[in-house]
Amino acid sequence: MTGPGTGPVMRFSVDGWDPGYGTSSDPEEDLGESTARVDVTVEMPAARWRAVDPPPGLVPPAALLFVDGVRRVEARVWIDDETPDGTPAHEASAALCASYAAGVVCCCRGQAHLVQAEPRRGLFTVAAHAADIATWAGTYTAERTKPAAGRPLAQTLSQLLQGRLTELEVTVAVGARSALAGHGIGDGDDLLIVDGPLRQREHLPRALGYIKSHRSSYLPPDLNALVSTLAPGQRTPVFLMGTSWDRHSWYLRLPRTGGPPWAGVVRVECSADLAVADVIRLAGLSQTCLVRFSSTRYKDPRAPQNLYPISGLERELRRRLGDPRLLYRALSRSAAA
Amino acid sequence: MTEDLVGQVVGTEDSTPLQFNVALREGAYLQLDDVVVTLREVPGIGPVMTSGVVTQVRARHEGASFGSDVFLISDGVLPAQVQEIAEVSTTRVEPEVYVPPRPGEVVRRAHGTERAQALYFDRMDSKVPVGRGRDGAPIFVNLDFLDGTRGAHVSISGISGVATKTSFALFLLHSIFRSGALGPRAVNAKALVFSVKGEDLLFLDQPNRRLDDDLLAEYAQLGLPAEPFASVGFYAPPMPDDLTGRPNVTGRTSGVEAFWWTIAEFCAQVLLPYVFADAEDERNQYTIVIHQVAARLRLDAVAYGDDGAVRIDDEVVTTYEGLVDVITERLTDEVTRQAWAGPVTGVGTINAFVRRMRSSVRPLRSLIRGDLGGAARKRVSTQDQQLTVVDLHNLQERAQRFVVGVVLAAETARKEAAGPGGLLFTMIDELNKYAPREGSSPIKEVLLDIAERGRSLGIILIGAQQTASEVERRIVSNSAIRVVGRLDPAEAGRTEYGFLPAQQRTRATLAKPGAMFVSQPEIPVPLAIEFPFPAWATRLAECAAPPRAPAAANGHSPNADVFRRLPDVDDDDIPPF
Repeated sequence: MTGPGTGPVMRFSVDGWDPGYGTSSDPEEDLGESTARVDVTVEMPAARWRAVDPPPGLVPPAALLFVDGVRRVEARVWIDDETPDGTPAHEASAALCASYAAGVVCCCRGQAHLVQAEPRRGLFTVAAHAADIATWAGTYTAERTKPAAGRPLAQTLSQLLQGRLTELEVTVAVGARSALAGHGIGDGDDLLIVDGPLRQREHLPRALGYIKSHRSSYLPPDLNALVSTLAPGQRTPVFLMGTSWDRHSWYLRLPRTGGPPWAGVVRVECSADLAVADVIRLAGLSQTCLVRFSSTRYKDPRAPQNLYPISGLERELRRRLGDPRLLYRALSRSAAA
Repeated sequence: MTEDLVGQVVGTEDSTPLQFNVALREGAYLQLDDVVVTLREVPGIGPVMTSGVVTQVRARHEGASFGSDVFLISDGVLPAQVQEIAEVSTTRVEPEVYVPPRPGEVVRRAHGTERAQALYFDRMDSKVPVGRGRDGAPIFVNLDFLDGTRGAHVSISGISGVATKTSFALFLLHSIFRSGALGPRAVNAKALVFSVKGEDLLFLDQPNRRLDDDLLAEYAQLGLPAEPFASVGFYAPPMPDDLTGRPNVTGRTSGVEAFWWTIAEFCAQVLLPYVFADAEDERNQYTIVIHQVAARLRLDAVAYGDDGAVRIDDEVVTTYEGLVDVITERLTDEVTRQAWAGPVTGVGTINAFVRRMRSSVRPLRSLIRGDLGGAARKRVSTQDQQLTVVDLHNLQERAQRFVVGVVLAAETARKEAAGPGGLLFTMIDELNKYAPREGSSPIKEVLLDIAERGRSLGIILIGAQQTASEVERRIVSNSAIRVVGRLDPAEAGRTEYGFLPAQQRTRATLAKPGAMFVSQPEIPVPLAIEFPFPAWATRLAECAAPPRAPAAANGHSPNADVFRRLPDVDDDDIPPF
């Protein structure tokens, strides 16, 4: 393994600790930004807020595309600092070796099938001289970033990893759309559902973000009460919310059996740039399409929010990441070489 | 050739030199009994070819974890993939380097030379076709294991009526005689068939009218002529209470000869022990009397007249009943008892003998005669024709045992005297009657002798039975070729079928008529075969023309004078076709 260009050999060692220890919290979700600006009058005035039933006679698109990604830290490694004369260094910087994958499941004509699955491996580091790590079980492409002031290194690396994963999700989503043309789905007759927030993917046409868990309450308390009264299939009116970015959003109740007041409630979002009529149409589509895919409790601990196609996709993507023990062994051997 | 690439060796399950699994590629399939081959490069040795037979195929949804996921997958909600995995049992590794096929190795369907190699057909100097495999190509049995060169005897098991044991045995005989595997020895090869199931086997020399082009092609593919047996002699017992010596058959009116033993033969050839089922059983006291009386009959009975009657101390005996009367009288008379029963035999023992002797009158009186014209009689003999059919279906079990025992003993003696020149295939249905696991009898002794020594004498036993577990172990274990048709599930679990892998045992419980599993010493996996429908008639209705006397029955018809005495039956009785 050589660095970019003709630099000296990068030396690194693998941390013996299980990479599961001390990783940062799940960055997929927005972290409690209760300062969000919310405009609740997009669809109807706040005073007339009520639960919205699924629109009758709305024809669902021919194809539903579910996009998701998975990530797994294979090992924490220490990259030795460069020394001018090539002698063993006394300092090292922490880095992550991670596998990540994104894929798309297409549900069309009574069949759910995988259309895209892209596994990648990366070395996430702040060391400027870091080079790719080649092992017999795959190559970890070096992804370098600058350390951010006032932020733990682990979080910086984790966000870098998340950023790459999001990029990959966009790539596969675009790729899946073009692959659809190949199997007889009319142009534009599809709906893309991204697992997680739509951030950085708002430019994708006919796309919905699908958020399963709720860390913050975005609505004012009087309107928020409406959410827990939703019947399965019903949604709240659309509202516009802005945190670090703007989007339209609404809450939707999936079928559920008992549970706390917010059981089975998901938040769906779409681009802020769309016309209100288009947004309301998309919201209606989300009611018509998503309910069918909700999971049951005995099959999925995250039921009903974790949709069947997405859990199937995640399982498949994780399988394609490879066996973690094997990958760890390959990394250790490369470090020793 | 690319359509022969059916898949690759899987790595999620252990691959061993003797068994491995193959993931089938999209659009390809393997069924049970298909023959496949895979190559592996072994350093320093070169390519090692592992070939085998598919013993199980599984299909499942990958990506599903619950049984109910299938509904989600069918609804297009959950993504999943159907994957088929075939389990292969190795039949041959060439060269003999027992390495497992490595995961990822390409697996091909075997054809032609490769298939022949996989099933050892290439090593068989002379091979006998026994039917077609599931892939439609012929399956062979090595003649070396049929003719006594390296092994002999065939054991066929299966439920009556469904397992088609007799049909398979006849097809096997046809194949042995006509495939050319025997070469010049075919001329001297004979077969003796004991028929116990109706008159089905009395039409073996008649072409089957159901013989169509498909069947002709099937026979042609196996390299066999679709013809009936050319040289057949039919024997049936005479009608009871009828002094003309007419054979006791209804379906066929010509070409069947009556057989019986004269009282004189019965006495001179010491046939008395064959009357008893347990004559050799030492636990029974009365068996001493049997041998004593038999010796007395041999010494005291003098032939009388032309019809096979005897004279014992001035008493003329013309019927079996009369003979039993004379024996009983001698045994109960104080004066003669000592000479006929032995010096120290008690009255109880004698009475036990007499009781059994009396009960044999009804079954045997039509077979042991001194009152029928001697000139018309023909002995059961395999000498004048290739296939000899002895019809026993009208006889009681005790009489059946008598006929089988006496005929086999005579044939064994004849072969012993003649030396191992020709082969005699002896087909016995319901072997468990003649050679049961428990007890001892002269008939069982004859069969055991054939099983153990027949190989060198040139007598090959083709035994059929519903349940191999009820047949003498030494006979079953001496059979080189084992054939199983449809089995009773309880029977399939017995150790006698240990040669069948568990999976084939289950399959044997659902085997169709005409489907058999053939196990032979060289091939580690029994092969599933289907043999063609008989080219010969198996009942009167199947005869293409009214049956006539066999053409090859040595030119002369010994029945002619028998029928002269009969009222004219001729063609009136033959059903119209």
